[in-house]
Amino acid sequence: MLFNSLHFVIFFLIVLALNQCLRPFTTLQKSMLLLASYYFYGQWHWEYLLLIWFSTIVDYLIGLQLPRSTNPKRLVIISVIVNLGFLGIFKYANWLIASLNGSAAALGASWYITPIDLLLPVGISFYTFQSLSYTIDVYRGVLQPRRKLLDYALAVSFFPQLEAGPIVRAREFFIELDGPKNVGMVDVQRALVLIAFGFVKKMVFADSLAGYVDPVFDHPETAHFWDTLLGIYAFAFQIYCDFSGYTDIAIGCALLLGIRFPQNFNYPYIAESLQDFWRRWHMTLSRWLRDYLYIALGGNRLGEARTLANLMITMLLGGLWHGASWNFVIWGGLHGSYLVFERVVLQRLPFWQSAALSMHALRWLLTFHLVCFAWIFFRAKTLAASTAVIGNLLYGITNAVQDFSRDHHLGLALLLAGLILTQFIGGYGHIKQRLSEDRGGWFIVAMTLILLMLILFTPGKNIPFIYFQF
Amino acid sequence: MSLRYLKFILPLLLVIAIDLLFQFGVWESIASPNSHAGMSIVKKRALLDSGMTHIDFVTLGSSRPVYGIDHALLANAAITHGKVHANVSVAGMHWMSLGIITDWLTAHHPEIQGGVIALSVHDFLGPGNGAYEIGIAFPFRDFDEISWMSEHVAFDRQEPATYSLYSGLFEYREDIRDLLQHPIQRARLLRYFHSLSATHVLQTNTDETADICRLQLHHRTDCTRASTLDAAAEEKFKSQCALLPSASAVRADFRPLLAGATAPPAYLQKAHDLIQAQLRRIPWKTPPIIVLMPMHSIWMDDALPQAAHEWTLAILKPLQDEGKIRVLDYTNLFNGPDGTDCSAFFDIYHNNVSGRNRLMQLLMPEINNLLYADSASPSAQPIEK
Repeated sequence: MLFNSLHFVIFFLIVLALNQCLRPFTTLQKSMLLLASYYFYGQWHWEYLLLIWFSTIVDYLIGLQLPRSTNPKRLVIISVIVNLGFLGIFKYANWLIASLNGSAAALGASWYITPIDLLLPVGISFYTFQSLSYTIDVYRGVLQPRRKLLDYALAVSFFPQLEAGPIVRAREFFIELDGPKNVGMVDVQRALVLIAFGFVKKMVFADSLAGYVDPVFDHPETAHFWDTLLGIYAFAFQIYCDFSGYTDIAIGCALLLGIRFPQNFNYPYIAESLQDFWRRWHMTLSRWLRDYLYIALGGNRLGEARTLANLMITMLLGGLWHGASWNFVIWGGLHGSYLVFERVVLQRLPFWQSAALSMHALRWLLTFHLVCFAWIFFRAKTLAASTAVIGNLLYGITNAVQDFSRDHHLGLALLLAGLILTQFIGGYGHIKQRLSEDRGGWFIVAMTLILLMLILFTPGKNIPFIYFQF
Repeated sequence: MSLRYLKFILPLLLVIAIDLLFQFGVWESIASPNSHAGMSIVKKRALLDSGMTHIDFVTLGSSRPVYGIDHALLANAAITHGKVHANVSVAGMHWMSLGIITDWLTAHHPEIQGGVIALSVHDFLGPGNGAYEIGIAFPFRDFDEISWMSEHVAFDRQEPATYSLYSGLFEYREDIRDLLQHPIQRARLLRYFHSLSATHVLQTNTDETADICRLQLHHRTDCTRASTLDAAAEEKFKSQCALLPSASAVRADFRPLLAGATAPPAYLQKAHDLIQAQLRRIPWKTPPIIVLMPMHSIWMDDALPQAAHEWTLAILKPLQDEGKIRVLDYTNLFNGPDGTDCSAFFDIYHNNVSGRNRLMQLLMPEINNLLYADSASPSAQPIEK
C-alpha cells in the first residue's frame, strides 16, 4: 500500500479513528495497530508476512533467553544469522549468483548457477535492522527484554515505518509505546505539517523530477551535457524529496497515532562536509551503522589506521545495504573515500576550516558536488550506464554553450536553484518548526498553498517510493 | 469554533472556494486559447459579444467541420437572407460537449432557430470522446449538468483528467502549469486572441491546403509507413496512426447486431440511446441538419467496425422519420472503388480547402433549401452523396 494512494488515506483514517476509540484499552489498541500493520504489509504480498512473523518470533524468544543464557553471544549470533540470512537470500543471493556466473564466464568455465526466482520483500532491509537492534541492545544490557510478544511484534511491524523507515530502534519504540500517547492539538498541527510537506516533496517534486531524470540515466546515449548535468542535480533532489517525503509522512502518521519517531533528514544539501551530510541524510541509518557496525568494529578506539578502515568498511556495507549491485558498493566506497579524505586531509588544513563566507560557500559547493557525483552510481542501473553518464559530462562540456536550450534546460535549472534555496531557507529558517507552532495565519496560508500544489502540480499517477526497492 | 480548531479546516475551505472561483470562470480570461477549454472560451466570448446579440443558425461539430465546412460561405448565405449564422464547432467536440453547448445556447441565445450538426460515422461508436472533452464542455456547463457529462465521460479515480467533472482546479491544472512554463508566449497568444472580433471567431474559416497524396494511404498499415517518410509526416501522422487499430487487430462486425442476431454491447447501446435522446431534446424551431462529414476509406474499409456506417444511419433513421432531424450523408463523398481521393484531405481525418469546396458545392444548395426555404420537408430522406 502506497502512502500516496487513496487506499492508504482511507485505511489511515479508519486506523486513526479506531486508535482514538481504543485509547482506554491499551492491549486492544496495540492489537488493532498490529493487525492494521499486518494488513498494510499484506496488501503487497501476504506470503511475506511469514518472514516478518518468523523474524519477530525468533528475536522475541532470543531476547527472552538472553539475560538468563550462559552463552548469550551464541544467541545473538543466531539472531544475526537469521536476520542477515533472510536479507542474504532475498536481497543478495541472485546478485552473488550473477557475479559468480559472470566470473565463471570470464574465466571460460562451463558451469552456470540458475538464479533463484524470488521477489524482494518490501522493507526487509528496514525491519531486519530494527529487529537486530533489539537483540543486540538486550545483549549489551541497554534494554530489558520485552515480555509481551504483542509489544515486540508491534515494534517490528508498526506500519508507518515498516516499508522504508525511519529505522526506529526497539528501545526508542518501547519508550513511546509505554509513555502517554496523548495527541494534543500541537501534535496534530505538527503531524499535518509533516504529512503535507511529505506529500508535496513526493508527489510534486520527486515525481515531476523523475520525468527529467529517467531518460538521462536509462538512456544516456541520447543525453547531452546539460541534460546530464541537470539530470544528476535533479536526481539528487528527486531522491531527497522522495525519501524524506516518505519519512515525513511516516513520522506525521505515527505522531497522529501517539508515537514519536526520530528525525530522519535535516536538510542534507546544506551540509559543508561529508561528515555533516551523513548527520543530516537518512539519520536513523547513519546512527544504526555507527552504533551497531562502526562501533562494533572498534570505531575510533583502535588508532587512526583502524578508524579509517572502519569508516570505509561501514560505508561499503552501508552502500551494499541499499541494494545488491556493484554500483551501490561503489557509491558506498565513494562516500567512504570522501570521509577518509576529509579526515586525513581537509580537517588538517587550517584554511579549509575558515569561517569566511567564501570558504563556507566553497565547502558547501564541494560537498554538494561530491554527493551528486556519487549519486550517479546510485541511480544508474549498471556500471556501464554510470560511465556513460560521466562520459556525457566529460565529452559534452566542449559543446556546453551550444547545447544549452532555453526551452529545455532553463526551467529545470530554475526549479533546481529554487530547490537548493529551499534547503537553506528550510534548514536555517526552521520553516517546518515555525509552521508547526504557528497559531494561525501562516499555517493556514501554507496548508492552502500545499493543497493547491498537490492539485495543480502532481503528475497524476501513483509512483512508488524509490526506497521501497531497498 | 475558535481559530485553534478552525485553522485545520480553513485551508480546505479556501481551496474549495478557489475551486468554485475557477468553476465560475475566474481563469477564463487567461486560459490558453490553444487548450480544449480555451478553444471553447474563445467561442463563448464571441457568442457573448455585443455584436452577436442575435444569432439565427449555428454550426456545431468537431475538428472535421472546423476544417471541412466553409463557415464564411454559410455566414454570407445567411446574410443574404437577413440572418446570422455562427460557427460554434470546436475540435474534439462530441456528444457530451455538443449537448452542453446546445443547452448553453438555448439559455443565452434562445433566438437560435436551427443549425448544422456536422459529425462523422466515428462519432456514433461511443458516448464520449475521452476525458479531454470535459475541457470543451467546461466553460459552457452548469452545475446541474455534471450527471449528464459523466454519462458520456465517466469519472475514473485513476484518471485525474476526469476529476474536472467536479473541479475547476483540475480542469485548468495543465493550463496553469503551461502558463508558469511559458508566460511570455501565453501573453502573446492572449493578446492575439483577444484582438479577434466575434465575427472573425464565428464566421471565418480555418484553411489547410496540403494534401496527403504523397503518402499513398490505402490501408491502416500504410499509415505507420507514411509517418516515417520525413519529419513533417512523422509530426503530423504518428499520433493519428497510433489511433488506428493495429495491423493484426480484427475489425469488429456490426452486421449481426444490425440484423438483430446479437444485442449491441453495453457501451454501444448507451451511445445509441444517448445520441437519440440528445438529438430529440434540441429545441430548435427548424430540425437540426445532421451532416455526416466525408471520411477517408482507411477508416471506412479498414479501421472502423464493419457496417459502422449502417449503424450510424440506424441511429439517425428513427429521428429522421419522426421529423426531429434532417440527415445529409457525405461519408463516402471522396471514396471510390480505388480508395479515397487523396487531394481532398490533409490528414486521415480532415478535409483540406479543396475537399471543403467540393463538399460545399453539394451541401450549400441543401442548406439553402432546408434552412431558408419555407417549403423544406420535415421528413426529408437521407441523401447519400
